[in-house]
Amino acid sequence: MNLTWPFDAAAGWLQEALILPLLYRLDLMQWEEIGYGWTLFAVYGAAQVAATFAVCLPLERWRPVERWPDSKAVTVDILYTLISRVGLLPLLTFVLFYQLQVGLNGWITDHGWVPPTLERALPFLFGRQAATFFLYVLILDFSDYWRHRLSHAFRWWYSLHALHHAQRQMTFWSDDRNHLLDDIIGFAWFMAVALLIGIPPMQFPLLVLLLRLVESLSHANARLHFGWLGERLLISPRFHRAHHGVLAAGQTSCNFGAILPWWDMLLGTADFSRVEVRTGDPTAEEALATGGYAIQQWVGLRRMVRTLRLPAAAQAPLGR
Amino acid sequence: MPQYLRIFLLGAALATSVAFQARAGGTVLVLNSGAASLSVVDMDTRRELRTIPVLREPHHLALTPDGRDLLVGDTGGNEVLDLDPATFAVRRRVPMADPYQLGFSPDARYLTVTGLARNQVDIYDAATLALVKRFPLKSMPSHLTYSPDGARVFVSLQGTGKLAAIDLREMRVLYEVPVGKAPAGVFWLDGRVLTALMGEDAVAVVNPADGHTERRIVTGRGAHQLFLSPAKRILWVNNRVEGTTVALDATTLAVLRTYKVPGGPDDIAFAPDGKLWITQRFAHSVAVLDPVSGAVESIPVGRSPHGLFVSPNAGPNAPSDARVSTR
Repeated sequence: MNLTWPFDAAAGWLQEALILPLLYRLDLMQWEEIGYGWTLFAVYGAAQVAATFAVCLPLERWRPVERWPDSKAVTVDILYTLISRVGLLPLLTFVLFYQLQVGLNGWITDHGWVPPTLERALPFLFGRQAATFFLYVLILDFSDYWRHRLSHAFRWWYSLHALHHAQRQMTFWSDDRNHLLDDIIGFAWFMAVALLIGIPPMQFPLLVLLLRLVESLSHANARLHFGWLGERLLISPRFHRAHHGVLAAGQTSCNFGAILPWWDMLLGTADFSRVEVRTGDPTAEEALATGGYAIQQWVGLRRMVRTLRLPAAAQAPLGR
Repeated sequence: MPQYLRIFLLGAALATSVAFQARAGGTVLVLNSGAASLSVVDMDTRRELRTIPVLREPHHLALTPDGRDLLVGDTGGNEVLDLDPATFAVRRRVPMADPYQLGFSPDARYLTVTGLARNQVDIYDAATLALVKRFPLKSMPSHLTYSPDGARVFVSLQGTGKLAAIDLREMRVLYEVPVGKAPAGVFWLDGRVLTALMGEDAVAVVNPADGHTERRIVTGRGAHQLFLSPAKRILWVNNRVEGTTVALDATTLAVLRTYKVPGGPDDIAFAPDGKLWITQRFAHSVAVLDPVSGAVESIPVGRSPHGLFVSPNAGPNAPSDARVSTR
């Protein structure tokens, strides 16, 4: 029995007890196979949320960086997390990515070429799940470093991303706090790279779960230090908090990495000196910090449109 | 048919198959569509001996007409793996677009490959694996069966609820006709194309001449796939939603017995000891069904197991029609 068995068993039970009878009743049985892909996605998404909750909540209670009189502003972040990891988005992500991959790779094969995958380029990876996964993470994390860095460099893009930075009560729930359009751009970015290196949609669900846990943990309101070496191997709450600091908001930020701090270290954007800083973006409208989901989405969009209307000179990338 | 006669016939058929059974042993190859791997399971110990990594998403397989090569389709990987059917050693990898279901024609001329995700049916030269003709067919072409002379291939179109017939002599589509909701498994039996209707609870008996449905056999919710027993007396039907496997009299199509097989039963392979090996897609296991006692034993394999194959090493009397797995 392997480590994924409990999750797979839960997804199987859900599929058999709920999804299949529902699809049958709705005359949608032709989608049962894709439906199962979504069920797996949803179960692993729920497991991500549960694991994050189980690990991060005690840490935040035990050693908080900040204590707030009330945590109302955090509620909307919980909604963002649930939508992003369990609800409709995983379904769309899975179906869209799957269809794109099928279409593109089939077309490539039809033309006598071989669709790109890391395992084909490096055949020794076959059967070495951990090594394969590590290489995929390395490439995707590097690509995400650039996406994140560029989202701070372009004013119009940062107008959307400001929603993520506006939170003054940053907790482990804040990881998925993003404008929908920012998420879509991020998804398109990821897809382009994933198609290029042929990432399999559901081959490493448990490892993806662990990575998402690291990302959530990096937002936690916890005094957590991995030690001199640890801080340079994996992104800690302390390292990522510096990125969310009030002085780092906008175009002059640092510590853009999501999983590995290596890209920041290599490209000169790492800052290990800022410790347990106050978070938030003083330039952002109050609604982006404390508004409800719909208000935040609307204000973020309006902010982007206003930025796009600025003269071209004001659109130029600033800082790094 | 009176109930006692049905039971007598089932008993006689099962007794015949058990009488000719060979020793158990050998291995079973299971295609884990959600785990990018193939499991090799020992038939004696009921344990997974090893796994063979594949690129992405293996679903179905077919034995070449000479029995020397076992082809495994990897849809997401866009390739076909050529395995030694005795040892399951990978001999070569052949690039092929979306090979979901695959089957060789009875005259050994063609290999038909359905591309469920790409809405295409490809006809390849069986010897060279060169593409002869592509038929774009909407939508979700999934299962296939041939007429015994190899002149026609019939394909279920899961998305549009139709059955398509392709003339392989003239390389043209003869017809696409509605047969019911979400048609899945198709099987040529006694001059008729039996089509399992996954969106319903029945198997449609279709006249291959024009595709009209002559009658329907109620088997259970989510009728998915059909397999003829090695002795050709029982037609087995798996019902995906209901979680049952049904034995039909292959001549009359009367229901003989219904077995509870949970976990989304899918493909079947017949073992020499008379038992049925059935992939349980959502239980991530393979069920071993004893058709006499009705007992079901589950063996854990990889995520979402689909096609499976009994190694010819399983015994000298290993049934020939257990060699090709169709969904």
